[in-house]
Amino acid sequence: MGQVTLRGIGKRYGSTEVIRGIDLEVQDGEFMVFVGPSGCGKSTTLRMIAGLESITAGELLIDGKVVNTLHPAARGTAMVFQSYALYPHMTVAENMGFALRMAGIGAAERARQVGRAAEILRITELLARFPRELSGGQRQRVAIGRAIVRKPSVFLFDEPLSNLDAALRVDMRIELTRLHADLGTTMIYVTHDQVEAMTMGDRIAIFHEGRLAQVGAPLDLYHRPANTFVAGFLGAPRINLIDCPSAHHALWQQWLQCQADRPSAGRAAPSRLGVRPEHLQVVPVGSGVPATVVMAEHLGDCSILHVQVAGIAGLFNLKSVRDSGTFAAGTLIGIAADAASVLAFDADGRRLA
Amino acid sequence: MRQTAAALLQALARRDLAAASRILTDVLPVRLSPATVPYVLISPFVLLFLVFSLFPLVFSLYLAFHVWEPTDGLAAMTYVGIDNFRFALGDDWFWKSLGNTVWMALASGVPQHLVAIPLACFLNSGLGRGRDLAVGVFFLPYITSTVAIAILFSSLFSTDYGLINLALAHLHGIPLLGTLLPAQPVDWMGRPENIKPAISLIVFWRYLGFNVVLYLAALQTIPGDLYEAARMDGAGWFRQFWFITLPSLRPMLFFAVTLSVIGGLQLFEEPFILTGGKGGSDQAGMSTAIYLYRTAFDFNDFGAASAMSWLLFFLVAGLTYATNRAFRPRAGSQ
Ligand SMILES: Nc1ncnc2c1ncn2[C@@H]1O[C@H](COP(=O)(O)OP(=O)(O)OP(=O)(O)O)[C@@H](O)[C@H]1O
Ligand SMILES: [Mg+2]
Repeated sequence: MGQVTLRGIGKRYGSTEVIRGIDLEVQDGEFMVFVGPSGCGKSTTLRMIAGLESITAGELLIDGKVVNTLHPAARGTAMVFQSYALYPHMTVAENMGFALRMAGIGAAERARQVGRAAEILRITELLARFPRELSGGQRQRVAIGRAIVRKPSVFLFDEPLSNLDAALRVDMRIELTRLHADLGTTMIYVTHDQVEAMTMGDRIAIFHEGRLAQVGAPLDLYHRPANTFVAGFLGAPRINLIDCPSAHHALWQQWLQCQADRPSAGRAAPSRLGVRPEHLQVVPVGSGVPATVVMAEHLGDCSILHVQVAGIAGLFNLKSVRDSGTFAAGTLIGIAADAASVLAFDADGRRLA
Repeated sequence: MRQTAAALLQALARRDLAAASRILTDVLPVRLSPATVPYVLISPFVLLFLVFSLFPLVFSLYLAFHVWEPTDGLAAMTYVGIDNFRFALGDDWFWKSLGNTVWMALASGVPQHLVAIPLACFLNSGLGRGRDLAVGVFFLPYITSTVAIAILFSSLFSTDYGLINLALAHLHGIPLLGTLLPAQPVDWMGRPENIKPAISLIVFWRYLGFNVVLYLAALQTIPGDLYEAARMDGAGWFRQFWFITLPSLRPMLFFAVTLSVIGGLQLFEEPFILTGGKGGSDQAGMSTAIYLYRTAFDFNDFGAASAMSWLLFFLVAGLTYATNRAFRPRAGSQ
């Protein structure tokens, strides 16, 4: 069991309110990802769930029981720290078995449980080593192993992969996803890496200034963001947005046309329109809205064009899969949005359709 | 002059010895070639080291194998082989001074660490803003002159008017506790059985702050998330102290205990001043350092004193090695 419920959870330090009321239901066995820009309160929320930070407002329930003031060790949660926080003077086996030792479990039983966790993570040959004799990736595994040994009902991860190099991060990402599938335990995972968020999470909770901006399945959030913040946060390069002052511009007119194609398009007049880079196409100069290539980034599998449209400040991003090599800076092109791909937002940034 | 010095430093920072030699040649009466510049510049240190460190060291080793009447000049030395060592090892007072030294080193040193570590932990976690002030107060005795401290404690330990006896007299009035305490004023510095405890107390008090500062510095380098991890693993405050703090302090513990061992075995100033340079009645406060000082300067036996100082050195070296064995971190963890 590992159902975590947050009811109006808040946190203030003195007079500054850093978490302003979070309501969230994490289902048993779910992989929930917390993302958001730096300082939005992801770690604070996670640490309140762990019990390392006191809760100043609201209720935290684990499996239906209020645990606001329960000791961290008694909540059935296990945390993997960004810095790993391995005990430097203990061997890997002692690190992993520390919680069992604190719980008064005998040496033989400890060794058995540590051995089994080590097998799952393939670190059996490291058990006698000290943390400083391990690579970053191995330390990460030990930290995860230490959490597994406790057989928690909820795993808490605070940016566990951010100290690893890019290749190792991809491996560990896959491994953690597999681990989740194997163990079937609830996991709450904090990251600021949206690739991790999109690929690992059953659901994503996007934080913004101490509140939840939106909660949902990754692709739902991507295609149906609740507001301009979520639309801008997910997706790289960022979504292209234009404001109503450009209403008489050809680009606005074109996008508005596309937006009207959406089956869900409402009647309200949008004050902002957005198109993701992969939904902006290069078309012959005559058709579409004329634009000038300012910079082209060729990534091999695709090209990212930064283009300037006369009469609109700021650059637009296009992600094109074809014709990648042919655009140099200064090339004149036409751009057009895909039908039904345009998102419309109201004056407060909420999505209309 | 300032400009010359600045120009010289710049030239040296550039490792431009030719420029440095030009600058020095301008101000010195002799011409210096670039190759000799480095040697000239380090010569003050080397000279001081040779005169005040290396020479006494070698000379005392030499003396240890000779008898010497200093008033008759250097020619009055006679080689006697290991006689001085044999004499020292057969000398009752030497053994007595060693016993005194070890007694006082333990009685002042062990409590230093037993008190300094919890105190440092308390200061580290408990006090917030007041911490620097508290550390300063504890550190003050360490930077105070030994003479001033000795005078202060002479008056505190004074038999008839000392504050300590006054306090004891008041406490004696309290039921239960009072029966454990002496009814008569204690003759602290006069009676042999009281001298060592009194001196140990002073030494303990004096170096406590120094150790607190050492441990506080070590405590501040322990990452906070280790304690958070331990808390999540179910360790209460005592087990956090035992399993996280103490092992993390181990390198500093080794360093601080080593300093205590070396300092304790060379104990000199405090007992010297408090006992008037003689070691007190029945030589109860005579440390080895005092005894070898007296052997040389009161009894004029420089050879035996040198031999004793080398014996003391070997004892210090041996105990330092033992400390190292006892406190060094587990292989691989550092
Ligand atoms: N002890 C504290 N006292 C005051 N403010 C704090 C304290 N701890 C955190 N904060 C504030 O709370 C806010 C949220 O911090 P938190 O660490 O949860 O952010 P985060 O989302 O994890 O960011 P990051 O991605 O950078 O780790 C920040 O604005 C931070 O300044
Ligand atoms: Mg964080």
